[in-house]
Amino acid sequence: MSETTEVPKKAKTFDRLRVLPQEVWSSLFRHPLPDSDLGRSQTSFTNFFLHIHPVKVNVHTLKPLYTMGLGLISFFLFVILTVTGILLMFYYVPSVQQAYDRMLDLRGSVAFGTFLRNMHRWGAHLMVAAVFLHMCRVFLTGSYKKPREFNWVLGVVLFLLTLFSSFTGYLLPWDQLAFWAITVGASIAGYAPVVGKEMQFLLLGDTAVGQEALLRFYVLHIAVLPAVMTLMIMVHFWRIRKDGGLSRPEEAALPVAAAEVPKARKFGLQGLVRGQVLNAGNSPEKTVYSWPNLFMAELFVFVFTLAVILVLAMFFDAPLEEPVNVTHPPNPAKAPWYFLGLQELVSYSAFWGGVGIPGLMVAALLIAPYVDRGRKGVGKWFARERLLANTLFVSFALLNVILVIIGTFFRGPNWEFVSPW
Amino acid sequence: MRLALAIASLLILVVHGSVFYQQFFHRWERHQTAYFDQAKSLSKNDRERAALNERSPRIEQTIVTQFGEQRVDRCITCHVAADDPRFAGHAQPLKSHPYLVSLGDKKKENGSWERRHKYADFGCTVCHEGQGRGLQAQYAHGDDHYWPEPMLGFITQEPWKKEYLPYLKGKEYLEVSCAQCHTEENFAGTPTIAKGRQLFFANNCYGCHKVEGISDGTLGPDLSEAGHKFKIDYLWDSIVDPRSNAANSFMPKFNLKPDEVKALVVFLKSRKGINFAETGLERYKTRLAEATKTEGGPAAAAKEISGGAELIDRFACTACHKLDGKDGGIAPDISYAGLMRDEKWIGDHFRDPRAVIPDSIMPTFRFTDAQFQAMTVYLAGRKTPVAATLTGKELYKEVCARCHGEKGDGLGPIAIYLDPSPRELTKTAFMTSKPRDRFKKSIAEGVAGTSMPPWAKVMSDGQIDSLLDYIDTAFVKSKRPAPKDRKLPETNPVAMSKESVQRGEGIFVARCGGCHGRKGDGKGPNSLDILPRPRNLRNTQFVNSVNDRRMFDSILYGVQGTAMPPWIDYGLNQNDVGDVVNFIRSMNKKGRE
Repeated sequence: MSETTEVPKKAKTFDRLRVLPQEVWSSLFRHPLPDSDLGRSQTSFTNFFLHIHPVKVNVHTLKPLYTMGLGLISFFLFVILTVTGILLMFYYVPSVQQAYDRMLDLRGSVAFGTFLRNMHRWGAHLMVAAVFLHMCRVFLTGSYKKPREFNWVLGVVLFLLTLFSSFTGYLLPWDQLAFWAITVGASIAGYAPVVGKEMQFLLLGDTAVGQEALLRFYVLHIAVLPAVMTLMIMVHFWRIRKDGGLSRPEEAALPVAAAEVPKARKFGLQGLVRGQVLNAGNSPEKTVYSWPNLFMAELFVFVFTLAVILVLAMFFDAPLEEPVNVTHPPNPAKAPWYFLGLQELVSYSAFWGGVGIPGLMVAALLIAPYVDRGRKGVGKWFARERLLANTLFVSFALLNVILVIIGTFFRGPNWEFVSPW
Repeated sequence: MRLALAIASLLILVVHGSVFYQQFFHRWERHQTAYFDQAKSLSKNDRERAALNERSPRIEQTIVTQFGEQRVDRCITCHVAADDPRFAGHAQPLKSHPYLVSLGDKKKENGSWERRHKYADFGCTVCHEGQGRGLQAQYAHGDDHYWPEPMLGFITQEPWKKEYLPYLKGKEYLEVSCAQCHTEENFAGTPTIAKGRQLFFANNCYGCHKVEGISDGTLGPDLSEAGHKFKIDYLWDSIVDPRSNAANSFMPKFNLKPDEVKALVVFLKSRKGINFAETGLERYKTRLAEATKTEGGPAAAAKEISGGAELIDRFACTACHKLDGKDGGIAPDISYAGLMRDEKWIGDHFRDPRAVIPDSIMPTFRFTDAQFQAMTVYLAGRKTPVAATLTGKELYKEVCARCHGEKGDGLGPIAIYLDPSPRELTKTAFMTSKPRDRFKKSIAEGVAGTSMPPWAKVMSDGQIDSLLDYIDTAFVKSKRPAPKDRKLPETNPVAMSKESVQRGEGIFVARCGGCHGRKGDGKGPNSLDILPRPRNLRNTQFVNSVNDRRMFDSILYGVQGTAMPPWIDYGLNQNDVGDVVNFIRSMNKKGRE
């Protein structure tokens, strides 16, 4: 009180004005760019967007060839898709009368319309691929093992959600490609025993693809699925922290004797943790600060992903075929490419291709961590100890890829074998 | 790491730069700026110039709601001078639309013109088609091959067949749009459509194809909406080469000149289902009126009976058939009809060709009874046989080659339209496995249920013999061996019974269905690769003309020179064959199905 009265009033106002920008800045960012270890810790700890990261990470986590950044790429693609998707929503109307005209407007007269659509389209395709590759990475490095079993299950569910998001978005342009791809895709769902037809009806809101299906797919695509996925991604990330960071080989995480805490001791708040103490960060000699090591790597992955999408969107236009003609199916009518493996199987057997085999594959993926309980071989690509599991997985993954390739390039009219050359 | 980051960031910057550049420097802006500049220099007074100064490039559009679905035509964004007569001599896109008397434009006393079809009301795509919403030339004009309505007569799309391209351009195609409102048959502005409509009748297209309000054919696809469904290259292709788009089509190849094809294409392209000129209610009323139309009175009928020859001419029968000098090159010669068939047969055949020749492609025409009667009387009266002086070789050329081919290979000019196909006379294995009597009988009495007519009255017995001699020396070229002694029953030893038919069906489905089809219609899954085609065993006329002995012969010992194997080698005994024969006979009994 006594101090302030001595300062001249005018100077006080001026000084306050002078420090205002800095005050605003420091209220936003609590710490200046860090130049000490304490600063580095505080920076990552006190920022909302950074605090999901640990303050220090194991050097193994940062090896580019270990993760290849696939999980992050998938996440950033999700972000890019959300942003471009929201922008596209400003122009789109989910009505069979208007949808196609809106596409023409996007291409013709909306500012950046073509570009946004291209980004969204190629982003969606890339995301399916990235999520699939991410799953391969996690399996082949044995990272789904205890304690990460549940996170693997979440990941498989996220993969299915990604496919479904892409599938629901496929219909929205309401051109021949969209209409017949969804018609084929939805009839694959219809091959399920007992509930197949009901499921198809629930999905389409009708016995054939039409206005009801368009509306349903739209709502699923822009509201339901993104919301569910956002939630699942949050849990997925949270579990990474709680499961002790990314998987790594045993030698990288030196075993620390689990401290069994005697019951008689009294604790502060931290002491409520009981039982085995988690290993995360318990090998200080092999960790580095997240700032700048981890954040720089993440930034690079983001910039790289964005650059790829932008270049793709620049040089390749998203397809827009004829307006829907329900009486004139293209020959062959093909599902979206990621379902062509299924369509290929369906061409041999409707039930096994459409429901049986994919159902079994998903079930196998979901229970894999609970069946394969060996603790060896975690954190290494193609570990010798996991030869059987890896071989099985690679065979099935390759089989799928080959089926997709056959379905995409080698199938002509009447689903007959053709050579793409 | 930092370097990679920098490179990727730079890439993002570059892409942004070029995308922004594209976004803010449109071609249409340049066109509009050029228009403003030139219009200013052409302006006569300051007021016009000031008005032009006010304008800046923007997307211009006409929203048209009068014609079908709402149209948004942004064509005038580039073609900004379309309605500015001062730009008549400029290059596109800054050229003004010509004023044409044929479009109904009027020249006023002061020398200026007034348009009949004002662009504010009609827009552009109502007449020209193309994609009104597009702002890039390739999309707006419809070069993009996904667009179903490229600019009529102006744009050809990339996948279209190269050889047709020169024919697919031209102002005639714009008549398609005129006809959406000007539906009168002989509207002066649509001469090509009138010509196409006339050709549609002259070539008997109406016999097979339905076009609502014009014809009722049921044999070929309904073309009432052909213009809406198909692009002009598809229509052109389907007329010139019917099997190019539908491999199973039995539509004949008509010998049309390019300008005739063009007229037909324009005519068909103008059939878009409901057009702008009528409402659904009006259309329904016309349909009702047509359905209740009554035929002319007895007087008219009497008059028509005498005019058979004239009717055959009017209904363009010779667009397909041969009659004396006229030959459509598609259907059999009817010059000797009176010597081959009686009046009842001809009448039955007229009313339903498939009642006597089950696989005929002749349309069922909807003429009046009197007209059928008149043409039947005329055809039944044609009783002039071939010249008695003709030798075997001359005869073959005159009456056989049209179906069996000059070389006897069964590939005469009309052979592809006949089912079953004409016998391949060069197939020695078959020709030598049957006795000469059988061939003589086929010629003299014809083959029931097929297009082979009885020739006994058309030529003399001696002529038939010399014809057979010619066939033997020219085509078969090999002697018949002495007939093998085969154990064949004269009549089916297995009595016809429900059980026998059931057993026969079981054997038939298992052994014969692959080629003859499960239904016995000759269309089994293997039939596509087999020539001659497997017999249609539901061809009642044919089956009934074949006796049991021949059936047993064909089944047990096979048909040489065809895909029919000797089933005796594949485990069928006489009783099995008896069951199969009973099954085949039961399919062709009257009253069944």
